[in-house]
Amino acid sequence: MVENTKCECGHQNPVETILCEACGKPLQEDYGTEPLEMRYDGVARRSQKTNRTWIDRIWSFFSSVKIAIYLIIITLLLAMLGTIFPQENTFIDATPQQIADYYATEHGVVGQVYHFIGLSRTYETWWFLTLLFMIGTSLVVCSLDRVLPLYRALHKQKVRKHRQFLSRQRIVFEYTLENEEKQVWLEEFTAKLKRKRYKVRREEDAIMAEKNRFSRWGPYINHIGLIIFLLAALMRSLIPGWYMDEYISLQEGEIKKLPGTPYYIENEQFTVEFYRDEEMNERFREEGRIVPKLFETKAVLYRCIEQCDDPSQRVLEEVHRHDIQVNRPLNYDHVMAYQFDYDFSPEIRSLDVQLADKQTGEIFGEFHLNTSNPEENYKVGAYNIELRHYYPDFVYEDGSPATQSPLPKAPAFVFVINGPGLEKEQVHMYFPRPDDKIKFQQDAINNATGSPFEIKVESMERVEISLYTSFLNIRKDRIIPFIFVGAGISMLGLIMGFYWQHRRIWLRLDGNRLLLGAHTNKNWFGLRKDVADALLKTGIKADPKSLDNGVKRV
Amino acid sequence: MSLEQISNACLVAGLILYTIAFFTFVIAVIGQKWSNREPLSHRKRWSKAAFAVTLIGWAAHLAFFITRWVVKGSIPTSNMFEFMTFLGMMIIFSFIVIFFIYRSAVLGMFALPVGVIILAYASVFPWEVQPLIPSLNFYWLKIHVTLAATGEAFFAVGFAAGLMYLLRTVDFSGNNKNSRRATRGVEIAMLAILIVLGFIGGVFGFRAAGYEATFEKEVYIPAEQKGAAGEYVTQTIDYVLPPLFKPYDSETSNMDPFLGMEKPLFVTPSWMEGANSGRKLNTLVWSIMIGLALYGCVRLILRKPIGAWIQPAMKDLDPDDLDEISYRAIAIGFPIFTLGALITAMIWAHIAWGRFWGWDPKETWALITWLFYSAYLHFRLSTGWHGRKSSWLAVIGFVLVMFTLVGVNLVLSGLHTYAGVE
Repeated sequence: MVENTKCECGHQNPVETILCEACGKPLQEDYGTEPLEMRYDGVARRSQKTNRTWIDRIWSFFSSVKIAIYLIIITLLLAMLGTIFPQENTFIDATPQQIADYYATEHGVVGQVYHFIGLSRTYETWWFLTLLFMIGTSLVVCSLDRVLPLYRALHKQKVRKHRQFLSRQRIVFEYTLENEEKQVWLEEFTAKLKRKRYKVRREEDAIMAEKNRFSRWGPYINHIGLIIFLLAALMRSLIPGWYMDEYISLQEGEIKKLPGTPYYIENEQFTVEFYRDEEMNERFREEGRIVPKLFETKAVLYRCIEQCDDPSQRVLEEVHRHDIQVNRPLNYDHVMAYQFDYDFSPEIRSLDVQLADKQTGEIFGEFHLNTSNPEENYKVGAYNIELRHYYPDFVYEDGSPATQSPLPKAPAFVFVINGPGLEKEQVHMYFPRPDDKIKFQQDAINNATGSPFEIKVESMERVEISLYTSFLNIRKDRIIPFIFVGAGISMLGLIMGFYWQHRRIWLRLDGNRLLLGAHTNKNWFGLRKDVADALLKTGIKADPKSLDNGVKRV
Repeated sequence: MSLEQISNACLVAGLILYTIAFFTFVIAVIGQKWSNREPLSHRKRWSKAAFAVTLIGWAAHLAFFITRWVVKGSIPTSNMFEFMTFLGMMIIFSFIVIFFIYRSAVLGMFALPVGVIILAYASVFPWEVQPLIPSLNFYWLKIHVTLAATGEAFFAVGFAAGLMYLLRTVDFSGNNKNSRRATRGVEIAMLAILIVLGFIGGVFGFRAAGYEATFEKEVYIPAEQKGAAGEYVTQTIDYVLPPLFKPYDSETSNMDPFLGMEKPLFVTPSWMEGANSGRKLNTLVWSIMIGLALYGCVRLILRKPIGAWIQPAMKDLDPDDLDEISYRAIAIGFPIFTLGALITAMIWAHIAWGRFWGWDPKETWALITWLFYSAYLHFRLSTGWHGRKSSWLAVIGFVLVMFTLVGVNLVLSGLHTYAGVE
């Protein structure tokens, strides 16, 4: 059946139009008197086609605001569930078994179920991501479905509207001009509206006043921002190399390669400053609390230019330096280093030791020892010293020496010394830390091998110590600019949409009979005040509240 | 008198002035029906006076804020006391803004108590100025906190107006299912308010009586860096309210008997995650008990639902105006909340932790609140939910806001643990 969509004013409307695009007369005649449905000015939308293919069906599903609200509410409820127990991503470096055990032991059966159905990683599950994806689709479809028809409707508005269109607005005013000269009054009313910054158009005895139409685009601009935001978040997981998240620990003076980048980072110096007693309140003072005020890593970033494969030979070139503090990360070529934590962990970095005769105290010479990658051979006076074994973190494992970690926490050196007066090579063991000397009985060992030597430091000034380990979080996240551009656009749209309102006032005179109708998308109070004010200033008294045509309340 | 004392005095002055303003608003509305006066001019005169007192109170409150800023050297929004006083200040500010738009005096009858209760709640927490830990000392954080609080303050005014709409329109004597359900809903809202009052009254009451109980508990402090081991620390936990619930896995080191109760009755369940969850659960249970007792007494005295008792005072109000005010307040607050609770929060999180979003419980709840209010706006704009349904959403929305601010710290663990939170 072909529907007649031609309005009595002569305008040919698209199928499914609710209000005539030209004069605003309701096309589906219902002879009602209640206010008209003014959303999108009653134009035809694709989603409302009755004759539908499967594409139309999907389109109309996603274009429904009701569906959008359901999606929002489901997302909201699932997000709530995800906050009940800690999410798995809060455990750094835990095995899947450890994680499963955590939920079982800490939260019992409920925890096990929580873990089993995937709520322990709610925000990474396929169903949560699908929901976000559906919200994204809904944003696109809802916006497109409405913004184009709305643009068309607002772009070519007729000044003179049908009487029914006016009398069925939410704000209506009827009056008979008796004392007033018609044309003079109309001029005056127009002037008053213009004073209120309305754009007024006039056609014979009809006027149309409009202001802040741009605010109608606010929601769509907001949605565009949100779409950019969601797309950016999606791109992060799709494009390799756009995202990295690593933790590294650096002793003072240590240089490490940044994984996944061509750079090396050095912790030149780490400083921490604490609140002084007088800066803290009484309670904190009494409790003897130590509150850090500031911590900072003086970081240097290098790029390797030669022999990069050999750690002892590689040539580094400085490219950037920055003092990293909490809230002030290093940022170079999309690589960011954040101050994450620090640890008081005094370690010997290097020291100058003397080789001496145990008996006479005669000093044969001095050599320099590093605790990381120490050299293998040293020449001291007439003696050749070879480093046979090095244990950075010395420990006895089943009676034999071993190292617990590669960190120089308890360094131990086993030297083999050759030189004058020695019949055969002499083994000598050296622990730089006084505590370890006693703990591991250095002297007893050296007596047992019959070593005539002593290795010692002259004074503490000859020992280079690093006090702190700085923990840095190394990140790379290329989507950040898109995220904030999206958020910015969104914000702009919100401000446009919420802090201004699109207001329209139509008025027509039929003889002396004045009929006024007005519409806004929000803030009816303000619009009623505008209308009542303008009327009052032209000598017609109307209580703002009385202009309300009454709306069915749900 | 030190500047800090002057500052605190300003806050107390503000609190008192708000209370006076509240009663003046009540007189403005109820007094219209008193004999020998013209209702309209009475209402106009008294509400003008009430608004003037509100403004003076707000000036005092602002003076508190500025002087504390001076004392502290940075903006005072970093612990629970400071944040809540700031939230209270912004609630009164939003009321003032909405008043200038709508000139609706009666809104003061509900917006002021919300502000006063928030302030009273704030005053339970330690007042002293505390040092800032480095991660909190950053201007993006300050922008984040102040804007989020401002947005939430507008939601609070939306809540007040929504509640008023319900009080005005619910048929308390109706016998059909809908009005019975609505009556129950309003009474639950009233009870919730009394529970908050119960908390404030309980803490101040027992504190004034000098009640004390202390527990010791081994707490595991997890290692912050990768690979390192955590450590066990013995923590002392002081209770202000008599312990019905002792902390999970703890030893009682001292407890004053209370009404013959010599030792705690129950143990806090282990799944309550937050810091000091035992004390918080105990406080919550006490608050609910006191709130229920208060509610019972009020009902006994009134012999009808509290809502039904308040309703006559609301008779002259236009429900449509209340509905619009509620919506408008939320519409003004929404962009501010978006900017404060989400966007600037993301900027700060990006700078401080290197990720703009981490699904931390507090972050997630801010998002939940935002999603809820966007659902509210879509319901309202596109599917025409006005009046009753919309008002219920405004009320529920504010419950979510308060849960995000207070509840998350109570039951969930995360990064946003404020210093000095009870």
